[in-house]
Amino acid sequence: MTSLLRADFTTQWRNRKSFILILIVPVIILMSWKGLVDKLGGAFVLANCITVGLTAIGLMGYSNSVARDREKGIFQRLRVAPVAPGAIMISRLCVQLAMILLMTTAVFIGGNYFDKITLSASGYLMGYISAFIGGAVYLGLGQMVVGLIKNAETVHSTSRLIYFIFIMVGMFGELGVLGKQIGELVKYSPYGTVKHILASSFQPATWDQSSFIALLFTICYAVVFSILGIRWFRWNAAK
Amino acid sequence: MNEAVLEVTGLNIFYGNFQAVKEVSFSVNAGEIFGLLGPNGAGKTSTLSAVEGLLMPASGKILVGGYDNAKNPRNARANMGVQLQATSFQPELTVTEIIRLYGGIYGVTLTEENLQEVLLSIKLQNDGGKRFGQLSGGQQQRVSLVIAMIHQPPLVLLDEPTTGLDPQSRRQLWERMEYLRGKGHGILLTTHSMEEAESVCDRIAIIDHGQIVATDVPARLIEKNRDRPEVIKASRRGKITLEDVFIGLTGQEIRS
Repeated sequence: MTSLLRADFTTQWRNRKSFILILIVPVIILMSWKGLVDKLGGAFVLANCITVGLTAIGLMGYSNSVARDREKGIFQRLRVAPVAPGAIMISRLCVQLAMILLMTTAVFIGGNYFDKITLSASGYLMGYISAFIGGAVYLGLGQMVVGLIKNAETVHSTSRLIYFIFIMVGMFGELGVLGKQIGELVKYSPYGTVKHILASSFQPATWDQSSFIALLFTICYAVVFSILGIRWFRWNAAK
Repeated sequence: MNEAVLEVTGLNIFYGNFQAVKEVSFSVNAGEIFGLLGPNGAGKTSTLSAVEGLLMPASGKILVGGYDNAKNPRNARANMGVQLQATSFQPELTVTEIIRLYGGIYGVTLTEENLQEVLLSIKLQNDGGKRFGQLSGGQQQRVSLVIAMIHQPPLVLLDEPTTGLDPQSRRQLWERMEYLRGKGHGILLTTHSMEEAESVCDRIAIIDHGQIVATDVPARLIEKNRDRPEVIKASRRGKITLEDVFIGLTGQEIRS
């Protein structure tokens, strides 16, 4: 397991350009929404940025790396060695958890630097926990994409499309730009529920029944996506 | 007679209703290079995948180093080294990192000195820091082979290892196979090159339509089949070669 983790972290480190790409959109939101912090609240802005970052990690980072390695036969090579298939995936997920930790920290730092947003210690702690729970939704979604689609190029383009739809509909829908009905739908979508639990976690005192409902939805999404993703997943890219 | 490092008995593999492998049985002994030959779609890869544990057969028994593949898959895998058709390592990792990764997986402790010896054995002593993706095809194959051998397994599976290699690299790989045979390792080799099979294999099995149609040492296989009309028909230069026997036994038509 240690060897696998070392190799996966090294691979991720050598692909740090992808981490920068994951961070770009949240940083742009932090910078461009500077004037909206007073109106929408710091927690809302940070929650949006982290949700966008989580979407990118699950859909752009995780699914693409798994699809690529499957197509190159890297998984098959590992599977013919005496290593449990679960260990291969756990190692991959550990890398993604580290990415979530890094991205969330970067957003907190950026939020403070660009928008002067500060949270209480419990707000930061709860924020990290919610980021991990929210991350599970998008990692599950990424797993579903690689489970359904075998070809790495198709996974790449599909995950980009889903990412784009999620952030555009999610962000603008929540702001009410796309109408009331869409706004209501977004509230219960994976984007809306993850954003909701993040925003409530940043201000633990505001955690209420709607936050619990959002948490419940988030956990359900994570479980359903992961179960389907694992069920559909094939180690071999060949049909 | 050397002990068997691989014993396959009554192997049957299905894909839905299609039977890809029918009652295949063979064994590979220690210190032997055993070639598994067959046209495309004959059942070679399915058989090999079952031995590697990547595919669950419908029935049959596979013993690797005495361990049942179905009952003790991890022990069976620990007793074999595999070189897959595609050189499948993370292109971002360096040669040294890949050797360390698989050394760790197989529980082999590698000191800096050991690592240098391994690199020297594949003539990459100055390229340990090079990323796998930057190596030439021949260098990648050498890394792949050394990884298959990192834990000194009794059985080595080589799936078309010389595909795409230049004659020099191919000859080098043959020498390496012969060296491994000399050290007592059993090698199961699949190849489309009859020249390769004739040159390095001690015994050959020809598989077609999922069944083994012949098993013998190359010279005897030629000798036994030289008078068959289909083999004579397949002969192009008057002299009967292993390729003529192969074509004679498996037919002239092109497989998908």
